[in-house]
Formats: sequence, structure tokens, C-alpha cells
Amino acid sequence: MTDYWLSKMFFDLQSPAAAAEYRADREKVLARYDLEPEVKQAILANDVFFLSKRTNPYLLRYFFFAVGMKDDEFVHRLRDG
Amino acid sequence: MASLVGVCAASHGPLLVREWDALAQGERQKLKSAFETLGQRIAAAQPDVLIVVSPDHWSNFFLDNVPAVCIGVGESNEGPPEPWMKAFPHREIPGHAAFALHLVSEVMTQGFEPSVSHRLKLDHGVCIPLWRMGLERLPRIVPLLVNSIEPPLPSLSRCLAWGRQLASAIRSFPHSLKVGVLATGGLSHSIGEPTMGAIYDDFDRETIRLFSSSEQQLISFLDKNLPTHGNGSQEVRNWLVAHGAAGARGFELVDYLPVPKVIVGCGFASWTIPA
Repeated sequence: MTDYWLSKMFFDLQSPAAAAEYRADREKVLARYDLEPEVKQAILANDVFFLSKRTNPYLLRYFFFAVGMKDDEFVHRLRDG
Repeated sequence: MASLVGVCAASHGPLLVREWDALAQGERQKLKSAFETLGQRIAAAQPDVLIVVSPDHWSNFFLDNVPAVCIGVGESNEGPPEPWMKAFPHREIPGHAAFALHLVSEVMTQGFEPSVSHRLKLDHGVCIPLWRMGLERLPRIVPLLVNSIEPPLPSLSRCLAWGRQLASAIRSFPHSLKVGVLATGGLSHSIGEPTMGAIYDDFDRETIRLFSSSEQQLISFLDKNLPTHGNGSQEVRNWLVAHGAAGARGFELVDYLPVPKVIVGCGFASWTIPA
């Protein structure tokens, strides 16, 4: 299942300015997208596994890279939930 | 008339920039040498235009509209948008509008219907190989973006057929123009999925071997194995376009090395062009 708004947010946050804004005020940026409550919660909890079922893998990786998660941790969370 | 003067392929990957200095010296030297070998071959062929066949890594297209194939028909293209590509020395990359539009109109007469863009951002997929090849003079770039990122993807046989059509369209351009084709991406890698970091050495070597076999064997092997050998491996579609452009023969491996530090099975090849 592809979540359009989740994917849209990840797509938009490829911009360094947008990613910086997100890091500074996550709630403000999240409010711009029509996200389901459980999806919003998963973003805030860095629930990589949950989100991986709802978006393109490249966008998933770009987002967590943009917010500063190291690849090792990203892969660990992706594999092990 | 225009002529096809060279066809080659090279891997790309963000870590070929971000981790370049952290690579073991021997590994970095082998990669540098492979990229530069291709750069020397391109320079020797003196192309006026280089058609670069690459995926779009969410730089131009989003879920609103994901073309299977898009040809850049603009007079100019933007340099890479990724912040870690800031050191790439070209921010504006001249295209060749008349030639690109000719390609589009020619392939459309044969039942191939690409989308077009009058201004594309050329992301790391296009620019890393150009950068690492060390070309002193960048030819005009006509991007041909093939979707290998967001399913549904164009079929493998269609990509091979695209290459054939491309070669025919190049040769029918009614002006003197030397044209090269550079495919980028592959070989095996896995991005943003549980197998991220995996390189499938055996898959890569068999793929390489089959580029010198029949196209049926190559397509059959890839159709069967691509779904289980990393999503990044789908970029081999671009190599198929190159293979088709070269008439599905004349493949020559320049080098292959799996590089865990850059999480890509790095392949480099060129094709001998039939006279």
C-alpha cells in the first residue's frame, strides 16, 4: 500500500531547508500533510518498519538520512521492527 | 547524418561520493581506473552529444506522475539537486533540444511514446559517472530517464527494444553529429529494504556473462532473478538500453568489483559499435 501523503512529505524533505525545518519543529511540518494518526505516530517514533510498508524504499531511506539516522540503525530498525 | 560513436555503462551510487575518501586505497584506485577508462573511451570518440540513460531518484518526478521513460528535450538541464553533490562542477548542463526532439518524434513513429521534459534536474545517477570519468569537456547531455524506482517498471525486453530504436533514431538525424550513449546504475544493490547493503556477486557475474550471450538468455535470467536480488539491481534496465543501442553485441567488461562500503556491485562496460 502506498501512502501518498507520507510519501509526499518524504519527497519534500529531500530539500535541505525543508529537512532543517522538520528537525527544528516536527509537529509544524507534519501538520501540513494529511497523515493518518498511526502514520504520524510512527514518524515521530522513527518506526522504520511500519513506514516501510507504506512508501517507496528510496524515499524511506532519504527521509531517515535527512533526519540524521545512521544507516546501521536504519537497517536494524527496518529488519527487526 | 549523425552517427553512434560509443556505448558504455557505469554504476553510480551516493556513497561513491560520500564515502569516496573513506574507501580502501586499492578499492578507490580500481574504481577510479574503471571510471577513467570509460572517460578515455568517451573522450576518444569525441561525442558532441551524450545520451545518458539513468533512473530519476525522485528528483524530478513524484507519485503524481511517474513516466516509464522521459527524454530531456531542453536546451539546458539543471545540475544535481542533492546537497552532497554540491562539488560537482556543472550547475547548468547544456542539452541538445533539436536532436532530442528528433529522437522523440522518430521513436514515436515506431510505437514508443516517451514523456518529455524541457528542463530536468540531473541527479547523482547521471552526474556521478560523468564526474568520476574525469571528462575535461562535457558533451551536450540528452537525458533518457527510465523508471527503475517505482513500480510498475517498463519490461526488460522493452528496454532492450528502446535501445534499438534509439540507435535507429540517432542515425536518422539529418545533421552531422557524433553521439554516445552512457547507461548508468546497477549492478546489484539494495536500498531502503531489509536487504539493504547486500551485493549479489554471483548474480552480477552471471548478468555480466550473459551480456555476451543471446538476448533471450539475458532477459530470461533477469526476469527470473531481478525480483530477489535487490531493488537497485532493477537499474540494469539502463544497461539493456545501451545493449540494444549497440545491436545486442560487442559487450566488453571493463571491470567489476563488489564494494560493500558503497553498497553496490560496481560494474563498468563498453560495447563495440557495428560499422
